[in-house]
Amino acid sequence: MSRYDIAIIGSGPAGLEAAITAKIRNKEIILFGSRDLSKKVNSAHEVLNYLGLPSISGKDMEEAFRRHIQEMGIEITEDKITAVYAYGDFFMLQRNNGELVEATTVILATGVVAGKPYPGEEAFLGRGVSYCATCDAPLYKGKTVAVIGGSAHEEAEADFLSEVCGKVYYFPLYKETPSFHGDIEVIYEKPVEILGTMKVSALKTDKGEYPVDCVFVLRDAQFPGQLVPGLETEGNAVKTDLQMKTNLPGLFVAGDIAGQPYQYIKSAGQGNVAALSAVNYLAQLKK
Amino acid sequence: MEIIKSVQEFDEVVAGNEKVFVDFYADWCGPCKMLAPVVEGLAGKHPEVKFIKVNVDDTPELAQRYGIMSIPALIVFKNGEAAQASVGFQPEAALERLLY
Repeated sequence: MSRYDIAIIGSGPAGLEAAITAKIRNKEIILFGSRDLSKKVNSAHEVLNYLGLPSISGKDMEEAFRRHIQEMGIEITEDKITAVYAYGDFFMLQRNNGELVEATTVILATGVVAGKPYPGEEAFLGRGVSYCATCDAPLYKGKTVAVIGGSAHEEAEADFLSEVCGKVYYFPLYKETPSFHGDIEVIYEKPVEILGTMKVSALKTDKGEYPVDCVFVLRDAQFPGQLVPGLETEGNAVKTDLQMKTNLPGLFVAGDIAGQPYQYIKSAGQGNVAALSAVNYLAQLKK
Repeated sequence: MEIIKSVQEFDEVVAGNEKVFVDFYADWCGPCKMLAPVVEGLAGKHPEVKFIKVNVDDTPELAQRYGIMSIPALIVFKNGEAAQASVGFQPEAALERLLY
């Protein structure tokens, strides 16, 4: 497996600017994101304060960004990263397709995850709360589990669980009607709390309570501390400094994940700083 | 690292060493595989601590005894008592903090 110099996660202004700067510095990069770049960008009505692009619509901004990365020969790898593991002098990134990618440095530019964990979620993590169906399903062989699905992508995970577990409840957090191959009971209620004493005993919703042995919380985007075990956070943001460093050497952040203000131009600027910090870090390692 | 195959063997190791670092894992668990080299590295730096691995499929009694609901799970025993625990992948610096 080849090791990239810099892996960048996120294709909003922070991730794209980081990729552009890293490319100019001749680094081997891989950029994970979406072909639509960023929902937050392309759904913007009008942006007034982005230098050089006055009164621009989100759609036009997306086009300008796309043209820029295409001119630079930067490609986007369309896949979700489900975990980033720190090994000291390099990182392993777990792709949703099961493959692993190695990189010497990582720039997280995944945006900010709205909301906060459910009451009980953090307390029962590992004792009936799981973020990974493929990892923990065999622990719940024949048991009753709940899946909180952030998007239709998670339906496959619930299908997988239904092959192993005795009973699967599925709580969609989205509007489309889920479709399954397995035997799964879909409940259109809003989860509000994970209950238990030593371990999870039930999932509480706005309308009732479901006795379960495990709650699989499969959000569309993970909180940064869940994405990168061991990463220090403060609220919804990762703790960082003016060089965009984190508590994990070689891991940098940029954009909304680094905290407020949530502004496109700030994100792009931080993407630039994060890439240069990664370049410096790589140079230090070679000494 | 030594892989413990029975409850009796486990109890003997925990009783017979001042500090024991236990890595509960299973062969089908991706994050366990990711964590293994970190634990190996830590073991290399701490010869004063006994490091062992327990396959939860081989000895489900131990997983049950310690209430293990998710793996990888790490427990540090000090003088025979479970003193520190951690679940999931952690970088080496975080695991090292469990030892003290």
